[in-house]
Amino acid sequence: MMTDVITMDHIVKVFPPNVVALDDVSVTFREGEIHAVVGENGAGKTTLMKILYGMQEANSGNIFFKGNQVRFNKPGEAISSGIGMVHQEILLIPEYTIWENVILGVEPTGYFGKIDRQKSRQKVKQQIDEFQFHLDPDARVEDISVAARQKVEILKLLYRNVSFLILDEPTSVLTPQEIPQLFDELRRMRDNGRTIVYISHHLEEVLELSDRITVLRKGSKIDTIESSGATKRSLSQMMVGREVIFESIRKQQKTGDVVFDMSGVDYSFPKNRPLLQSIQMQIRAGEIVGIAGVEGNGQLELVNIIMGLIKPDHGKIEIQGDDFTHASILERRKKISFVSQDRANMGSCLNASISENILMTHHRLNSRFSKWNGIVLEKAQINKFSEEVRNSFDIQMDSTDAEMRSLSGGNQQKTILGRELSLDTPFLLLDQPTRGLDVGSIEYVHEHILQMKDEGHAILLLSADLEELFRLSDRILVLHRGQIVANLETEHTSIEEVGILMLEGGAQ
Amino acid sequence: MKRNLFVNLAGVLIAMLLGAIVMLIQGYNPAETYGALFGYSLANFYSFSTTLRNAVPLILTGLSASVAFASGPVNLGQPGQFLIGAIFCVIGGLYVDLPPFLMIPFLLLLSMLGGAFWSGIAALLKKFFRMDEFITTLMLNMIADYLTYWAITYPLFEPRANHPQTPLITKNGFMPKWGNFNTNVIVMLLVFFVIWFIFNRTIAGYEWRISGKNSLFARIGGVKIEKNYLSVMLLTGALAGLAGGLVIMSGPHRFIKGLGANYAWDGIMIAMVANNGITATLLYGLFFSILQTGSLGMELITAVPSELITVLQAVIVLVVVAGRGYFELMIAKIATRRKLKDRDIHPQFIDQNAINREDTKL
Repeated sequence: MMTDVITMDHIVKVFPPNVVALDDVSVTFREGEIHAVVGENGAGKTTLMKILYGMQEANSGNIFFKGNQVRFNKPGEAISSGIGMVHQEILLIPEYTIWENVILGVEPTGYFGKIDRQKSRQKVKQQIDEFQFHLDPDARVEDISVAARQKVEILKLLYRNVSFLILDEPTSVLTPQEIPQLFDELRRMRDNGRTIVYISHHLEEVLELSDRITVLRKGSKIDTIESSGATKRSLSQMMVGREVIFESIRKQQKTGDVVFDMSGVDYSFPKNRPLLQSIQMQIRAGEIVGIAGVEGNGQLELVNIIMGLIKPDHGKIEIQGDDFTHASILERRKKISFVSQDRANMGSCLNASISENILMTHHRLNSRFSKWNGIVLEKAQINKFSEEVRNSFDIQMDSTDAEMRSLSGGNQQKTILGRELSLDTPFLLLDQPTRGLDVGSIEYVHEHILQMKDEGHAILLLSADLEELFRLSDRILVLHRGQIVANLETEHTSIEEVGILMLEGGAQ
Repeated sequence: MKRNLFVNLAGVLIAMLLGAIVMLIQGYNPAETYGALFGYSLANFYSFSTTLRNAVPLILTGLSASVAFASGPVNLGQPGQFLIGAIFCVIGGLYVDLPPFLMIPFLLLLSMLGGAFWSGIAALLKKFFRMDEFITTLMLNMIADYLTYWAITYPLFEPRANHPQTPLITKNGFMPKWGNFNTNVIVMLLVFFVIWFIFNRTIAGYEWRISGKNSLFARIGGVKIEKNYLSVMLLTGALAGLAGGLVIMSGPHRFIKGLGANYAWDGIMIAMVANNGITATLLYGLFFSILQTGSLGMELITAVPSELITVLQAVIVLVVVAGRGYFELMIAKIATRRKLKDRDIHPQFIDQNAINREDTKL
């Protein structure tokens, strides 16, 4: 029987003003296991680990480390007890070599605080060999790959004798080829007696790697189970809390002319790293095209190119036959409604009023909202319009003069959808329109999207949620490493097939 | 709105209380001192009109800073724009002579042009070289300082004067006075209403406000950020320039070395206390003018040095600005407590950092 290292007991965390991030969560981690913590975005996985690591304080609950109650006030205290965390963002000094980065902060020193370079380099080298990390300790961090940088982060913790490692979504920055290697290294560390907590929402990874799995959903713990007995399906049911396969509610309908036409779009950044390659797509009136893909395979760049935030290296964008490749953002907005996945920064202005949020873009496109030749705001019309949007999208609010911030996530999203859908443009770009919403709101958003389709709008839908894509889209394009690797009729494909294409990129 | 008023009033009162304590420690009588302060700035028509006249440059430079900060550009060049506006006004007043009803608008426009020209340089540096206006406007302040110093020492020097100054501008360019009431106040009020209207009631003002709060959101919403940046820089430069011109036209009627040394910095301070609010800038501008004007009287009547007013101003800024942040924090804390109570969980401690960071990322 393995012994328990860490027990987190009845942890509660509330983010002001009233977001309950963790609601009475208890977990036990055993020595020498790989323990996965899974859950949807916003389930509280990262928050739970930040509390353990001393980056955030719980509002109530206790943490026991090897039987003793502990409370770490800052990460440094956790590290000196042997608990370390690798974050999603990598924090290294690019100009320093690997060994310099590793020893930073705990340099072995000789007389007068002189760093013993020989000794520290030697020690780092030894550790690299022990875990077979295949790194050159003298390489500069700026010259090595992201995967290697991640290893340096892990190495930093190993160097500080950390025996309990927390990794927050480590594969999100890796390419598929790099993942098996990371897994091998993690297993090796486990076999050396270290405990690893692995935060993820990729079920395949979790099933392959971990010994036990804790599932969180909306801040509550659902269960901790042995990986050997779990399947992808049972896990996803626990994560989402319902039978996840939505009924397809698409209706067959005749599609119209091509509205959105993108051809030959390439984009590299920096110059030698292609992020999008010869992207080709056509979307007809009354058609919903879904883009599937693991996050970071070019979705962000695709959206930014369509919206005009970045310029493609080559290629052409046409909407209803007009060339929009070099159009200004305002010009584009006459034809494109846009729901961003970044609700707080791109989709809305949290510290402006709700009616000011609803007015955006309309104020330039609809002469109804201004008088005196488009100079002065027409307050009466603006208020009337805000009320219209509020009623037709059923937004729960005190008043349209309240700050956007005061709304719940679901109501913020409804406000954004209300604004964008009432632009009534021929083309809609929806980037994760239901991210972070509860089931009821998702249902609601889906109905509105389908209604827009019925009215003959052309819709491009990006989503990390395959069920959503299958529920709404007529066709699914799979984006893998910046290329569209498949163009599938939703009728004639399956989630499994798309999932494999997303991960492996098809038979190329 | 109500909450705002409360925070501001409470802040001012607390600051004055602190000021009173300082006076007590120094052995002065606070009641007598405040009496002299307000008596000398408010008690009669003469002193009140002096207070109003002195408020004009404070409010105009304050509006300049408020509009800039609330719209995004960090224009800290009010001191420079003020000086260039003043020197433009003086040049116009020395070399052009028109009847007053033309001369006054002409000089006002000229000083606005001067300020806009100076802020425009910073805007162009940003456009072509991506230089941050935060740095360039500050640097341009230095250049304006020495440029005007040079101008009044050499080309515009009044012959036989014993220190650097220009000759008087034409009498037709003097702002008219009714008794002690200077009409520069009317110009300031007009400008205030125009700015308030532009900022709150026009399409451009709406775009500025939203861009100041979240420029990415505005940009993706179709707002032309660069164009607005240029308009805001030019407008706020013009406001500071106008302040400089009005000081010339209503005060010494010539450019003297050290003219209006602190007005523009005080204006920036006023914008900060006012949290970049347009109306709040007007009110704080008036209030600071009451303090500054009254401080002279206070020094005459009581033994309290006028420097105490500088201390008092600083305390007001600190208390009001800090109080605003603390008040928000308190509200957030109360909301968290309430939520925990709803769930029957006893709050052991509330994460101060999370409140500060507003970190709701889960």
